[in-house]
Amino acid sequence: MTSVASKENDDTALPADEEPQGRLARLAKLQALQIVLVLALIVLIFAVLRPTTFLTPFNIRGIVVNTSILAVLGVGMTFVIITGGIDLSVGSVLVFSGVIADKTMLLMGGKGWGTAIVGIVVACLCGLGWGLVNGVLIARARVPPLIVTLGTLGMALGFSQIITGGIDLRDAPDVLVNTVGFGNIVGQIPTLSVIALLVVVLGGIVLHRTRFGLYTFAVGSNAEAGRRVGVRVDRHLIKVYALAGLVAGFAGILNLAFFQSTTISGQSNTNLNVIAGVVIGGTSLFGGVGSIFGTVIGLFIPSVLQNGFVILGVQSFWQQVVVGAVLIAAVFVDQARRAAALRGSSLQFPFLSRFGSGSRKVNR
Amino acid sequence: MKRKGAIIAGLLALALGLTACGSSGAPAGGAGAGPIKLAFVQGVIGDAFYVTMQCGIQEEAAKLGATVTTNGPQKFDPSLQTPVLQSVIASAPNAILIAPTDVSAMQQPIQQAIQQNIKVVLVDTTLKDPSIAASAISSDNLGGGKAAFDAIHQLAPQGGKVLVVSVQPGISTTDDRAKGFQDAVKANPTYQDLGVQYSNNDPQKAAQIVNAALQANPDIVGIFATNLFSAEGSATGIRQAGKQGQVKVVGFDAGPDQVKALQAGTVQALVAQQPGLIGQDGVQQAVAALKGQPVTKSIGTGFTVLTQANLNTPEGQAAVYKSSC
Repeated sequence: MTSVASKENDDTALPADEEPQGRLARLAKLQALQIVLVLALIVLIFAVLRPTTFLTPFNIRGIVVNTSILAVLGVGMTFVIITGGIDLSVGSVLVFSGVIADKTMLLMGGKGWGTAIVGIVVACLCGLGWGLVNGVLIARARVPPLIVTLGTLGMALGFSQIITGGIDLRDAPDVLVNTVGFGNIVGQIPTLSVIALLVVVLGGIVLHRTRFGLYTFAVGSNAEAGRRVGVRVDRHLIKVYALAGLVAGFAGILNLAFFQSTTISGQSNTNLNVIAGVVIGGTSLFGGVGSIFGTVIGLFIPSVLQNGFVILGVQSFWQQVVVGAVLIAAVFVDQARRAAALRGSSLQFPFLSRFGSGSRKVNR
Repeated sequence: MKRKGAIIAGLLALALGLTACGSSGAPAGGAGAGPIKLAFVQGVIGDAFYVTMQCGIQEEAAKLGATVTTNGPQKFDPSLQTPVLQSVIASAPNAILIAPTDVSAMQQPIQQAIQQNIKVVLVDTTLKDPSIAASAISSDNLGGGKAAFDAIHQLAPQGGKVLVVSVQPGISTTDDRAKGFQDAVKANPTYQDLGVQYSNNDPQKAAQIVNAALQANPDIVGIFATNLFSAEGSATGIRQAGKQGQVKVVGFDAGPDQVKALQAGTVQALVAQQPGLIGQDGVQQAVAALKGQPVTKSIGTGFTVLTQANLNTPEGQAAVYKSSC
């Protein structure tokens, strides 16, 4: 184990030659890279312990499918956390969107694509609606994100239970279940995961290659500085929370297609699982730093651990212990980096010290 | 930065090392032609019913020279059970004994196990199409519901209003228990059926339901709670309303908490299933299917009605569920 640790240690050493521009993306990439190595290490350990069962196509496919819906949620959550916010409501919004979409499709009565498409649109709109509620309350009413989304977590789940009487609905049209839920694009490539990958790639492009993404980083690094250079911070925050709601709504219809059930009671820890994945992936809870790629890797770690532990025959409770340790380690690295930035190694991290997002926090 | 990488790796190593210690008791498995490898997927972990079933499975497997691993989701929900089942399938056991958490949502994931040439035996709960499984073993739940009504009939022979507190629709076992009970109520004109309320397996919700039902119908004579948490919650709801003694509660299952409630007199009777026997039968059927011997497609196991009178007899004690093997 020690030899593996020291090997990884060498690989993650900071490259000395950094270009001044694009440093932010570079930083994010760096922690994402460390996480890739951690994931690789975990996969390696399981592969060595169970060479015949762990790295089979069936198992890899299973892990990917089971991570797909979380990855869709992770895209929105990454944007939100980069702004320095949090969204606890995603699991409930997922359930709510699934419930409304299910009810709508039931009313339409059809079992074909027409009904399915209406269901998809309705689910996305429901998610968007909750996202807008979150965004407006946070940006305009100045209620802290933790409280707003804790509130909408309860409200979205409560409305779902009022509408259904707390009883799971199971009326996803067959076309949706057979294609999106369990279908394959080609061979053994699951449609659900391809859809999730599309969302992830789109999210990555928007975050890292567009003005919208740049503003997201700017708002999270230093909202005041962003305001002074002309970013409409309030409006941007609303858009970011709306986006998180939208993808949660979309995840709701994917969830309905996959489980053929609205899984009302199964989503109570989804928000925390997604947040853990995002943070493990190197997105800073203090905002301003992060990447979609890191999030996806961060979400795979718990999935792979759970899968590997079941295969090893280890009590699945241990998965939580290990994920907890990785989570704390990831935040520790983030914190230590910020402290280093303040301690005068500003040459290494000029962006952070210039905009002061680190300096505010580290004085504590 | 170097140091931090090492810290991450170190923490990970520590955690994985810890788990390695934790797993030392688990069977090694993996060898191709070794003993028969069985896997048991519980409906939810940490429930006395499934623990007792696990004990029965382990006992019987040891007798037949098979190894067993046990896993389960944190909650009784298909979205949490599916990844567990998928991982179990990947570990390539010879047969899986599973308690599906949803009749329709678990159909596809279990189908995947069968496609991997794994024999599947359904224990306790079942599927929309159970024919894909080698065998399905559960309590005869319709009969269990009737047994519960008979218990209420004995406790409150004068007749009156009766209520069912169940988990949620779509769970085959509890649906049947409620149906068996309601059919028995209909057959007896001195009783009036107030219908079924659903607790979502949440004791607090069950308590609220019972409390509210007693506000609306203060003259309820009997409540049938179809599972463990519903019974716990119903007992709490009756205590809250101060109606102990007037309302006879018949619970299903005999976990440590219900037995305590029975001893305390909050619950007047328990219809105990035989989870240990379900597990034993499950192992026998799985092994028979693997050896190409004839299997029984559907097996119904019986019940023991527990009251304060028979709880401390050897027979009564045998019917109580275990919290560890």
